[in-house]
Amino acid sequence: MSDTGKKDSEGMGLTAAEYVLGVLNAAQRRAAERRIDRDPAFAREVAFWEERLGGLAQAVPEIAPPQRLWSRIEARLGRATNAEDERGGLWRSLSFWRGLGLGASALAAASTAALIYVGAVGTRASPLIARLDAEGGQAGFVAAVNTGGGSLTIVPASLLAAEQKAMELWLIPPGDKPHSLGLIDPNRPVTIKVPKDLLTRVNNEAVLAVSLEPPGGSPTGQPTGPVIANGKLAQL
Amino acid sequence: MDAEARRRQLAAALRRVAGGDRAALRHVYAETSAKLFGVCLRILNDRSEAEDVLQDVYLNVWRKARSFDEARASPITWLVAIARNRAIDRVRSGAGARSSAPIDAASDVPDPTPLAAETIETAQENRRLYSCLEELETRQQAAIRAAYMDGLTYEELAERSNVPLGTMKSWIRRGLAKLRACLER
Repeated sequence: MSDTGKKDSEGMGLTAAEYVLGVLNAAQRRAAERRIDRDPAFAREVAFWEERLGGLAQAVPEIAPPQRLWSRIEARLGRATNAEDERGGLWRSLSFWRGLGLGASALAAASTAALIYVGAVGTRASPLIARLDAEGGQAGFVAAVNTGGGSLTIVPASLLAAEQKAMELWLIPPGDKPHSLGLIDPNRPVTIKVPKDLLTRVNNEAVLAVSLEPPGGSPTGQPTGPVIANGKLAQL
Repeated sequence: MDAEARRRQLAAALRRVAGGDRAALRHVYAETSAKLFGVCLRILNDRSEAEDVLQDVYLNVWRKARSFDEARASPITWLVAIARNRAIDRVRSGAGARSSAPIDAASDVPDPTPLAAETIETAQENRRLYSCLEELETRQQAAIRAAYMDGLTYEELAERSNVPLGTMKSWIRRGLAKLRACLER
């Protein structure tokens, strides 16, 4: 072949295919990985082959891993991320919140606890909190936004169960459509990072809502199931 | 649930994992761990090694979910690629000889029924891959499948098929070139 440029590009495609196929040795694999990082055309070739050859994995039989594996993964997640989880203490104690959810002074007490909590994690911004009422006016969740740190903690305040359904949290800024903040756990407090572009619109006019969605969350990016709890944010 | 709905759901869950959502990671695990464990076990041929690798795979997914690009990859092939890379790296790091199956074993694996209930990928994309594979010579096809599924090097493939290294390289390289031409048609 006389056209060097074309030959190079064919050679590149071949190396990408060989990398994805898995026939390269350790040193060649490292070289290919370095090239993925610095050569976008090569990275595109690798993506092409990963996508196309990926179909071969379909012929590999599924084998369920042992039950304990997920707990091992979850335990390592705890150490790997979100320092606030460890600092939560009382805030993250479910029985504490369950107790609050049953009392009439839930919101006042939650506000105090949220203030203490948000104070404890060292923010200077004024925190926002919300009580998300379920049907019948009972507190379903209590949420606090640490606007300084850009995180939101939501705590189940009563026993809510939804067989086969995921619970998804939505932020609705005034005059806007709902924005997903992710899935929450009906059994334990969850701390969520609020995306930067949304954080500026979290104010005491915004509403938080929880909807029931298929496992994995809404496939459309908007709530598709019934709203089981909602409430307005308030400045402390 | 049909394949397309499942794909959308997995992609949505990965977006949430990128935002630090553990419940979403759990969902991804529930949906895909049996497939990825099968993939790792096939390459490593050792349950405890495969368990270690699978654990790393999901921790990697947790950290790297942000780099998942829906426009470029389907969620399941993205996950399979992470699992295969981890498993192959583990094998290449000198874990020693693996118990070997004859190369024909890979070609004995039947083509999946494209519309099987467990189909994650859209059936159409896979039909294309399998029909293009059918256009290759039998030995090229068998070598490519064995390389992909068992994660073997050229040397290991040559040894298993009892052919010179150069012959194996040329089967695979020609096979890949033809495959690419067919896939792009």
